[in-house]
Amino acid sequence: MRGRAVLIALFLAAPPLGAQNDGNGLAVGRQMLAEDNPGELWVQRGQRLFFEKRGPKGVTLERCDLGLGPGRLEGAYAQLPRYFRDTNRVQDLESRLLTCMVELQGFKRETIVADRFGTLDKDSDMEALVSFIGSKSNGVKMNVPLAHASERETYKIGEYIFHRRSGPLDFSCATCHSDEGKRIRLQELPNMTDPKQMQVVVGTGWPAYRGTQASVRTMQHRLYDCNWQMRLPDLGYASDMSVALTSYLNTRGNGAVIQLPGVRR
Amino acid sequence: MAKHRWVFVVSCIGVIVGCASKPDAESVRAHAEAVVAEAYPGMPPALTQRAVQDDDQKLCSRRPDEKLTSDEARRIVDAARASIKYPASGALAGDWKAGEKLVANGVGMRIRDGRVEAAKENGALCINCHALDPKELNVGNLGPSLTAYGVQRGNTEATLRYTYEKIYNAWVYFPCSNMPRMGHNGYLTPEQITHVVAYLVDAQSPVNRK
Repeated sequence: MRGRAVLIALFLAAPPLGAQNDGNGLAVGRQMLAEDNPGELWVQRGQRLFFEKRGPKGVTLERCDLGLGPGRLEGAYAQLPRYFRDTNRVQDLESRLLTCMVELQGFKRETIVADRFGTLDKDSDMEALVSFIGSKSNGVKMNVPLAHASERETYKIGEYIFHRRSGPLDFSCATCHSDEGKRIRLQELPNMTDPKQMQVVVGTGWPAYRGTQASVRTMQHRLYDCNWQMRLPDLGYASDMSVALTSYLNTRGNGAVIQLPGVRR
Repeated sequence: MAKHRWVFVVSCIGVIVGCASKPDAESVRAHAEAVVAEAYPGMPPALTQRAVQDDDQKLCSRRPDEKLTSDEARRIVDAARASIKYPASGALAGDWKAGEKLVANGVGMRIRDGRVEAAKENGALCINCHALDPKELNVGNLGPSLTAYGVQRGNTEATLRYTYEKIYNAWVYFPCSNMPRMGHNGYLTPEQITHVVAYLVDAQSPVNRK
């Protein structure tokens, strides 16, 4: 707890990563952090949780099919979101894990959803599992499938929503993520129209360790947090909207070499 | 939840060729709207209403390769023009010191766990996107720098009017601008906008300091 508070303080005290981070101390600091990534703790805990007999049914997640067959984790994240026949829907890693934890382990959906984001008092099992499974695609290139009609439909829905303006501030995702070198205050914004930047965004997170929050955060959390800033309501966890946006973004990052969890401010 | 998926399945049975190729724009739009409508489960209707688009937001939601026609742009400008309300006092420039607090205030109307954050008033959010006071470095650049705004434009009646209207509803001058329609959307009050106008144009304001 106390260690975490100190970690957060360090991140808050450091100036935010500004626009001009080429070759300066901030870039060096970021590199050092990436080499000693606290997210590894989430990976280890996630590994333990994955192989532990858990839930009312007391089983491990080894029968969980993330798209490449039950228990096959290597490279699974690199091909998500994808269509799953058993649920007849396109799922991202988190919505798929939710299915497995409910169907295989007998957890209540509400229990998992309530635990989706860790707090300073309690780590999230989901954030740990996502870190572990994400890391099992390290070194693999992102390769989201669009072979199934539902996958193509989901991608197109994500593209539509990315540009869809609403709310009291008239924002869409594109408002902040379509131009080069933009910032909100000093926070850099990735330009998601640039394939090269999408490679970085998709290859190194989410999941990523967030220094200011002293926790690994997932893609679902990133989207939830953007919705909050846009003055929209709490985005439903594992909602079709979150999966569609993830499908759109991950697909545009196809080819990125995965290195997870990443490290972010 | 499953409703729009059924629509999709049924349309696939009807038009197998259509489903094998790219989904057409109208079916994507319909499915996407159903997806958005279901994206905020358990939220009060007053809050989910925020995700419902008005006609102009719809027109401004296109991909960059789908340009507005000049008629559509004209419609947006006309609607923006008709939306503008002026302060009861009639004075378009208020108190620049009140404006100074507003421009750096990034709070207002955010939702967590189904509740709107408590705030005395909504902040004007300006420096999230614009440079204003040259001494303030913690500024964004999504919008142009407005440093020395008053030095460049003066504080004539025309400048005051343009500035007020631009903040109230930016789309009257730039249809589909990224800038939020602060007054039109009820995010800022007319009085708050007059304070921001004063902060931009007043010779004493840090924006215009040499």
